[in-house]
Amino acid sequence: MLAPEDVLRAIAAARGDAICVPTMTTAPAWRTLAPDDPSVTCVGFMGGASSLGLGLALARPDRRVIVFDGDGSLLMQLGSLATIAGAQPRNLTHLVFKNGVYHTSGAQDIPGGLTVDFVLMAKGAGYKNAYAIREATEFKRRLPALLTEEGPVLVELHTGLAEKTPMTDRGGLPFHRQAEALRVKLLRPRA
Amino acid sequence: MPESIPASLIIDTLKDTFREARAWLAAEVAEPPRHAHLGWILSVPDTHQRTVLAALDKEQAIRVLTCATEDEATTIAAGLWMGGEPSVLMIQHAGLYASVNTLRGVAIDGRVPAFYMIGLLSREKDTDPRESRHSMVRYCEPLLDTFGVPHARLEGPDDVPLIPEYFRLARERRGPAAVLVGLETI
Repeated sequence: MLAPEDVLRAIAAARGDAICVPTMTTAPAWRTLAPDDPSVTCVGFMGGASSLGLGLALARPDRRVIVFDGDGSLLMQLGSLATIAGAQPRNLTHLVFKNGVYHTSGAQDIPGGLTVDFVLMAKGAGYKNAYAIREATEFKRRLPALLTEEGPVLVELHTGLAEKTPMTDRGGLPFHRQAEALRVKLLRPRA
Repeated sequence: MPESIPASLIIDTLKDTFREARAWLAAEVAEPPRHAHLGWILSVPDTHQRTVLAALDKEQAIRVLTCATEDEATTIAAGLWMGGEPSVLMIQHAGLYASVNTLRGVAIDGRVPAFYMIGLLSREKDTDPRESRHSMVRYCEPLLDTFGVPHARLEGPDDVPLIPEYFRLARERRGPAAVLVGLETI
């Protein structure tokens, strides 16, 4: 079982200039680990992280885009797997933090709980590759390849619960300020 | 009386709209994206605009991405916008109703300039949409009014300049704007 914070720590060290899209329980830890990162959090529209990442990946094919999705979040817009597969963004790494519950709202089971197989779903939708990873050592060993191999690639990460949720740690900028900040970083408006 | 709009006229207008958007961006930022295409159509296929979608299949200058839901389309538009890419969402009124939370969370609260072309499927030619006997036609403008989304009707070829006008409006107000396609395109 992976600890979400360990996963994020490893990504923070290895991401290079990748654009990151956290959502839900990955958001509090990510803003501590990578406060100046070129990232934008999917906040206020649960389920949208994969589509937000797709838009960024299509706009910026020169940059790797890493989505930190949740299992409950992805279920809200499961069709995005097919939309992503149809668009075939070569630079998209789609991580699904799978804990089987809606942690933020009180840890109620997601539909199907831990039996839902996102690897099969991604492969069925047409992702280039999809893997499940359960151990920290395996994740750290494979991470460099996951951030460079041709996408779209989905990784189902079998994790425990995060230490913080958006309800227990409410900080962070609202979405519109994060979006504007990322746009400025990517496009560099003239003075 | 409303008239149908030829697909070719809409596509030429979209190309001009995208060219203008890229020129505006090039003047505003140091690192505008450089792509071979002019812009993106994010579509959840709309019966009302099907001739436009069919003609877009043959277009090299405009990229069309078919989305599974309107939620996705709006959110993809936000990602494209952050990266400097212009897009137009082509959806149906029913899709607008299906994606209201994303309209609110992404386009309105997120201050993302999302421009929608919304087909009014089943709109009666001789009836004001607000008085349509079909609820999916009748509720469209009131819903946009409720959310403060500026909108205009494309009631014929003479109204096509509303496409760049409302596209610009979305950019200037940093939020959604919409044109409603009154009759099936031809």
